[in-house]
Amino acid sequence: MIKILKKYINYIYLILFAGLIVISYLSSKRKPDSVTELFTDFGWLNNFPKWLDAPFMVWINDWWRAFSAKYGLIFDAIGYVLLRAYSITKNFLIDVPWPIVVLGVVLLTFYASGKKIGTTIFVGFCTFSIGFLNPRFWDKAIETTTIVFIGILLCLIVGLPVGIAMARNPRVRNAILPILDLMQVIPSFCYLIPGIILFGLGAIPAIIGIFIYACPPLIRLTDLGIRLVDKEVIEAARSFGASKKQMLWGVQLPLALPNIMQGINQCTMMALAMVVIASMIGTRGLGDEVLLGLQQLNVGSSLEAGLAIVLLAIVFDRITQAYGEKIQERTQPTKKKKKQLIPI
Amino acid sequence: MKLLRNILIPITLILGLAFSTTSANACKARLGDFDWDSANIHTAISQFIFEKGFGCEVEVSKGSTTPIMAAFFDGQLDVITELWEDNLVELLRPHFEDGSIIHMGVNTPASEQAFWVDRATAEAHGIKSVEDMKKPGIWELFKDPENPSKGRMTSCISGWTCYTINYVKQREYGLDEFYTNFDPGSGGALDAAIAGGFAKGKPVFSYYWTPTSLMGKAEIDMVRLEEPAYSAECWGAMSVVVEDIKANGQEAYVPSCACEYKDMALTKTVRADWAAENPDQAAFIKAYSLPTGDVNSLLAYYVDESGGDMEATAVHFLSNSSAWESWVSADVAAKVKSAL
Repeated sequence: MIKILKKYINYIYLILFAGLIVISYLSSKRKPDSVTELFTDFGWLNNFPKWLDAPFMVWINDWWRAFSAKYGLIFDAIGYVLLRAYSITKNFLIDVPWPIVVLGVVLLTFYASGKKIGTTIFVGFCTFSIGFLNPRFWDKAIETTTIVFIGILLCLIVGLPVGIAMARNPRVRNAILPILDLMQVIPSFCYLIPGIILFGLGAIPAIIGIFIYACPPLIRLTDLGIRLVDKEVIEAARSFGASKKQMLWGVQLPLALPNIMQGINQCTMMALAMVVIASMIGTRGLGDEVLLGLQQLNVGSSLEAGLAIVLLAIVFDRITQAYGEKIQERTQPTKKKKKQLIPI
Repeated sequence: MKLLRNILIPITLILGLAFSTTSANACKARLGDFDWDSANIHTAISQFIFEKGFGCEVEVSKGSTTPIMAAFFDGQLDVITELWEDNLVELLRPHFEDGSIIHMGVNTPASEQAFWVDRATAEAHGIKSVEDMKKPGIWELFKDPENPSKGRMTSCISGWTCYTINYVKQREYGLDEFYTNFDPGSGGALDAAIAGGFAKGKPVFSYYWTPTSLMGKAEIDMVRLEEPAYSAECWGAMSVVVEDIKANGQEAYVPSCACEYKDMALTKTVRADWAAENPDQAAFIKAYSLPTGDVNSLLAYYVDESGGDMEATAVHFLSNSSAWESWVSADVAAKVKSAL
């Protein structure tokens, strides 16, 4: 059965395409009065004919209306969970005195980087400088950080299992890759604006936006990292009788960890980029300072906020990179070389 | 292959030359367009008449108020077909006074800006005015999910003057104790927030304005909240505070006065040097005017029937109405008609 299907699949596509053209013609409001006109007046060969308009817009709108009415409740529930997580984290971080937050970041960097003094001082300085640029930025940076953090958490929860599944099964990979391409390429407003209808204005559609925009690199690098693990190592593990589960947790994942960390790093950077765009849908944070400066033609204020975002990006990048390097040194102790990475 | 190339290159060169010579003697109009749909309609209609009637070369730049107005004052744009003049009084005054731009009369005679509540909620809780919004329990209907101790009033976009005006109004009316002045970030997001509220049957409390396609839709039914009646004196006092806050931040707020938005006439403006060079086209812009009802029905046509095609909406208007024929001379009108 599948063999027959494979043989004729191209014909099936052709029939579907022809059907679509007929439907487009029939549903168009600008079609000529009768079909025969097409063969007497060849004006439609000149410009792309107006009656050849696939009614995707109408279909999507109808589907969307039904979808948001039927499943609105589910999205309310998802939104509520995310919102609780967001509010609790944000309020906690805002209530904590700022020196303790700076200290926390410094300690985190110190241990994540494997006690590298230089990186630690640099990150601590950058963190302090965010508030130093403009005291108003401190709380906003915390709001931005919280959104990025929750977005990444969501990416990890979904992205890691999907990446592992892709690495283990080529069929899954073939099915998922086009979806990842779509997620990365589609303009962000296409999903941010529907996000408002499902989740309301504010932080939640931004988190969803982060998920769509920043998850693909994490999935890709997880997949790649696992597939790049040495064949010899896998064989060795297999010859010792490792089960599939032991193989994954004991061999593949630890060896793929540097790549996965790179994925998390990329995920973080893209999340930060998205949170700035999301200020256009009412998300609070540093992005709205940039937007406000832009709308008032206040170059100074938007650049100042832009700089604060750069600082935040440096902090995120340094911490995740330093942690990745530490893991790399641990798994590949022989290739101990220092890489100078670009700060952003 | 080589032969083909040898033939093709001269042909394209000649064609290019021919096109450049035909457009060299035509007029040029750079239109400033905004990111809301009533402005887009006026721009689309005037673009069509400029191109087909006058044979002008038209360039449309679209953006939000501040950058477009800045480009206009800077001489990078020639024509603004829809101007929310009363919101920009202080910004426009110096340019009108030094004569670099000319006021071109009314475009749409009446528009509304106000606070709105969806009809179902308003009727269920007897909300008629902004004072009613302060009644106990009302703010909880509009609870702001990110700030649950207050209700959310979806406001204007921060950076637009109306955002600051709404801020002052909230303070004056005492609404700020109950509601946040929530910036939706962009016009599209504001529309989506209102539409989303209606789609889910949730209470909506928002700043909004007409003429807009959203207000023209059947399912969007909102009640305009009553505010203290408009008086020029009160508005003037408030404008001073508003400009001060825009310049110096929200700390600059001082109690003054607040009243409803004036139902204002939308106007048009062009640059003086452009008008001097193109008197016929300037006369057309001056004559251009449409009743509010027509604009609303065009907006509804744009959304529901044209499939989101502004040019088709402009063509629809030009072929179904004769109002525009009095804006231009007979031969220009004839040219436009033949192009439809």
